[in-house]
This record gives sequence, C-alpha cells and structure tokens, in this order.
Amino acid sequence: MKITRRKLIRAAAAGTAMTGTLGLPTALFAGQKTVKLGMNIPMTGDYAPWGLPGLYGCQIVANDLNAAGGVKIGGDNYKIEIVAYDHAYDTEKAVQGYKKLVLEDRVKMVMMLGGSTVASVLPWARRKKMLTTTLLPSDITPKSDYLIATCESHPLYNVTGVEWLAENHPEAKTAVIVTNNDAEYGLQSAATYKAAFEVAGIKVVDVNLHGFDITDFAPIVSSVLAKKPDIFCMATSFYVTPLMEQLYHQGFKGKIISCTLDYYNEIIAKTSKDFVNGTIFQFPDFDDPALNQAGVSFPNPADFDAKFRKAHPTDWSAVSWEYPAILLNWLEGAKAAGSVEPTAVLSALKSNKNPNFVFGEGEWWGKDLWGQDNALVGRWPVVVVEDGKARIQEYRSVSSWLDRNKAVLIRHMKDLGLRTV
Amino acid sequence: MELIFQSLINGLIQGGFFALFAVGLVLIFGVMGVVNFAHGELVMVGAYTVWLLHAQHGLSYFFAIGVAVVLVTLIGLFMERFLFRPTQNDPLAGLICSIGMLFILQVVATLVGGEGPSKQVPPPFHGTWVLFEYLRIPYQRIFSLLISFFALSTLWYFLTRSKLGWALRAVSLDKEASALQGININRISMIAIGIGASLAGLAGALMAPLTNINPHMGHNVIITAFIVTIVGGVGSLSGAVLAAFLYALFHTFVTVYFGGTIATICGLVLMVVVLIVKPTGIMGTRISE
Repeated sequence: MKITRRKLIRAAAAGTAMTGTLGLPTALFAGQKTVKLGMNIPMTGDYAPWGLPGLYGCQIVANDLNAAGGVKIGGDNYKIEIVAYDHAYDTEKAVQGYKKLVLEDRVKMVMMLGGSTVASVLPWARRKKMLTTTLLPSDITPKSDYLIATCESHPLYNVTGVEWLAENHPEAKTAVIVTNNDAEYGLQSAATYKAAFEVAGIKVVDVNLHGFDITDFAPIVSSVLAKKPDIFCMATSFYVTPLMEQLYHQGFKGKIISCTLDYYNEIIAKTSKDFVNGTIFQFPDFDDPALNQAGVSFPNPADFDAKFRKAHPTDWSAVSWEYPAILLNWLEGAKAAGSVEPTAVLSALKSNKNPNFVFGEGEWWGKDLWGQDNALVGRWPVVVVEDGKARIQEYRSVSSWLDRNKAVLIRHMKDLGLRTV
Repeated sequence: MELIFQSLINGLIQGGFFALFAVGLVLIFGVMGVVNFAHGELVMVGAYTVWLLHAQHGLSYFFAIGVAVVLVTLIGLFMERFLFRPTQNDPLAGLICSIGMLFILQVVATLVGGEGPSKQVPPPFHGTWVLFEYLRIPYQRIFSLLISFFALSTLWYFLTRSKLGWALRAVSLDKEASALQGININRISMIAIGIGASLAGLAGALMAPLTNINPHMGHNVIITAFIVTIVGGVGSLSGAVLAAFLYALFHTFVTVYFGGTIATICGLVLMVVVLIVKPTGIMGTRISE
C-alpha cells in the first residue's frame, strides 16, 4: 500500500484523537500523588499465614480508598500503593526487603509481623527514621523509637479472655497451658496467661512447653489431661488444630481458651461442632454484628469480610484485618500531620494521647515493660464459638487490666526469662 | 496407671508411622548405598495427595491412599533411574541429588497447594474407641496402625519368602557377590526404591488426617527416620522396625513425664549415645573390609 502524505496526516490525526481519549481517565486523576506503604512480611514458609492474608486485606482497603478517589493528606490527593516483600521469616531476607522497600521503593511506612525479623531491621529503622510497625509489642526496646504496635498487642489481649472466662465460668478453678517454647510467641503468651490466671484466681497446674518438631500431640495432651484441669489453654497459634483434635479424642470436657482459633471450620470438620462450641479466643470474624457498635473504627467491617472471603475464600486469619487496621491508623496519623513523611506521621500519632484504635479509643503503653510507650492498647473483644460460628461476647479493657496488674505480668515475664526493662 | 496405658498405646501408634518411613530409608540405603535426604518429602507428597484428592476434591480416602502410594512410588522410580543410577559410583553425588530433589518436591507442593496455612484433612473415621472407660483410641489411629502392621508384615513376608526378597537382601549384603550370582543390580535397586518410596507414600497418606500438612513437614520426618535408622542399626530392616517402636515409646514417655522440649533433646542424645557406645546400632553388624 502506498502511503501518501494525506493518509499519513489522517492516521496521525486519528492516533492523536485516540491517545487523547485513552488519556482521559489519567486526566481525571491529574494532580494525584501516590504514597507507597511497604509490607515486609512472610508470604511463604511456615509463617505465611501471618503475612499473606494481611497483604490481601491491605490490598482490599487500598483499592477501596483509591476507588473513592484517593485520600486527602495535607492538601494533596494521594493514591495508596501497597508494596510487599516476602522475607519468609528469615532475618537476612528481612533486612534485604527492608532496604529495598525503603531505599528503592521509597515507602513511607513498613508493616511487619514481628519477632526476630523486626529485631534485625531496627538499626535500619533508626538510621533511616522509618516508621515501622509490628504485631508483637515485645519487639519494642528503649531505643526502637520508630517502631510502634498500633493494632495487635500480642499477647496482652489474652488477659481479657481469661477475665471473661473467670467471671462467666466461676466453677473452672484449674488450668493447664500448652505452648511452643520460643521467646517471640509462645513464652510471651504463656507468661501473659499465667499472670491473667493468677489475677483471676485460677490455679495453673501445668505449663507444657514443646518445640516446633512435634508431629504427634497425643502424648502432650495425655500428659496435661492427667492433671485433671478445668481449663485447657493454648498459648500457641501454630498447633491449635492438632491440639483440639487430641482434646476431642481424649474426651476433654472442660473449657478451652486460645489466643487464636484460625480456620476453626477445619477444626469443626476434624472434631465436631458441639465440641468446638464454647471455645474462647480473641479474634473475631468481621461479619460479627458486634463490630457495628459505636467506637469500632474499622470502616464497614462486614463489607470488608465479604470482599476478603470472596477473593480469598480459604485465607481468612487473625491478621487479615490487622494489617489493614494498621494502614488505617497510619492514614489517621498522616491526615493529622498533613504529611506522609514517616517522622511527621509518627509524631502526629504519638502526640495524640488517645488515638483511634481498631476497637475504639486507645492509649500508648509499654514503657513499664519494654521501655517505650509505643504500643497502642485499648479494649479487645472476647470471642466465643456459638453454634459453629465465632461471635464477640463483649469488649474488655486491656489497658485497665494492665494498670491494675502490670507488676504480676512483669513478674511472670521475668520468671520465663523474657526481656523486660 | 491410666496415663501409662494411654501413653503405651500412643507410643505404639506413633511407632507404626516411624517404622513405615524408617524401613523405606533403610531399604534404599542398604541396597543402593544412598542416604535419601528427600525421604521426608516423599512422605509429604503422600500426605499432599490425600489432601488434594480427598479433602479438596471429595474423592474416597482409600482411593486417595492408593493414588498417593502409586504416585510416590513413581517419584521413587524416577529418582532411582535419573538421579541415583547415574551417580551410583559416587555416594556424595547421590546424596546431593536427593537434597536437590527435596527442594524440588517442596516447591512443587507449594505450587499445588499454595502458600498459607497448613492443610488439614478431615478424618474419614470419626469417633474414639473407649476401653475400660479410660483408654481412648481414635478410630483413625487404629486404622493407621492396622495398615502399618499389614504393610510391614507383607514386606517381611516378601523379603523372607520370595526369591526377589532374597535377592534384595543379598544385594544389600554384597553387591558384587550378588551380581556374580546373576542378580540384576539395577532391577533390584528399582524394586528397593519402589518399596521404600511406596512405604513413605503410605506413611504420608495415613498421617494426613492426623497432622498439619505443609511443604516442610518432611523435615521432622527425616530427622526421626535418621534417629530410628541409627538406633536400629544402619542397613538393618528388623533393627529399624524394633527401633521405631522403641524410639516412639521412649519419645512418648519422655514427652508425657518431662515435656516435649526434653523429649526432643533426649531423642538426639539417644542417637549420639548409640553412635558412641554401639555404632552398629541395636541390630546392625560390623562388616570387616
């Protein structure tokens, strides 16, 4: 085909028109900036259940915010972009991921799970003055100025479940605690449960610690049930299903309390609905009507729950809403600061003595235990399985329990060799 | 007393699993001289197969067990033909190949099952058998113990009463002499790894409803299998079976009376003590050069 000058001009004109049309949506968002928020989390390996669902949750919240036109911070309109890095719960990879997110991606906050992976990036957080979040406030040290825990205060919230159990089942007088023997999750949780049981007047008759190499929980369950406890307490999140299965088969009839009960439908499938009913834990489903109460600052939890389960039907876990709640906290701080810069947001968050916490008003806590008031604590839900469905029974205040009993908690932390100030 | 009897039963059931996967490891080492580090991953593939077919697609548990055994056997045969046979004159190369296979199987499991939580398989046999009002044995565990016992008995019969079994034992004693007697070493190696892998697949399939299934579950399995193999005597099948039950009972009772952490340490100490005091293990024999 011969290309004439006229044809060329016509084609160019058509091209320009098309480009202009395609460019329309871009024009609509003209002036919109993008703020990147990082997630340096385990997305593969044993710890993936405490990382990946959080990423899915954050993507849902970010998409919703962006679809609504973005967020206004300091006179600018921002689109939120989540940038994730999989550290597979490996400290070297965690440092690598942190550097990438901060130096290459230029994120304004890094959300992390906690534990050794957070400890490994703390020097970088300090050097780069990067706002970093953890789900384990025990990561906070007197020097970790840029590390905050604004959602889950593992395992402090467990005190609310024990308090509720003692009030509602006064006949339960003895308890056994089973947990993995690591200092990051298991022992922290065991110390907190021991303190909570002591305060509630419940005698702990055995604390059974085990490693991560257990393949059969029958001996452990037989061993602790021989102590005839009224309460079986799982201070672990890793082996709840096999422990529950053994409790079922070994005929345990007492009360069961646990930090988490992730994937409880699978536990019901392995045991029975009747057996799982009555189990007390701390992490609600977000279609729970009790989340519509005044004070809950997570916007439209039921809608979030539905979107999450539609997109990721088998992935809902405790962290599904926790990282998004941290994102929303950051947003509140950024709006207050009128800036997305990490130090400004941190300063705005910390200067608010009672900032919004996911389940209501919170307060900064932690100096007595870890050296800095960088953990946001407030009320926390007590959840019980009823007719095969997790339902919030009531909210109880973690902070008021800590005000009354922090000395007991610190003593039990020290007894188990855990770091306190 | 109740606790002692309950622990005895728990230990015997655990011993059945240990014996299944340890015997396979011993068989492969005895005949081929290869330390198969991917043996734990063969157990994992068995468990994943049951999860995929039974828990995810609703197919019969027995059918899933059958597929698991066949699939893992095929993987074993593949490993023999393409990894271990070409490297048969270099035990180190075989070991490294098995480590490579270990990672490959883990990645494949991740691709098939996705990341996220450990997989769970609802037990096909619900309920618990209650004996004397205090001993409680889940039907699922009784089923697993019976199948383990049947599989090990069949293996024992095969090894002691069939010509192929004799040939297999002969090769594990002396490859060269066996070859001189007209035994096809490659064929026997195929049979050895086929049996070893099928037992691993069976162990994984039986364990599936009783444990957390994830791509890394083979790690704990291989450590246990090594302890059992060393305690029983490297290369001794009857030693492996005996050690599997003794170790399971030992581990169970230490867990019950001293805790899981102590039990793990004691298991490894036991292995070290055996290596120092009786390096040939309970039933192994010293072979002079």
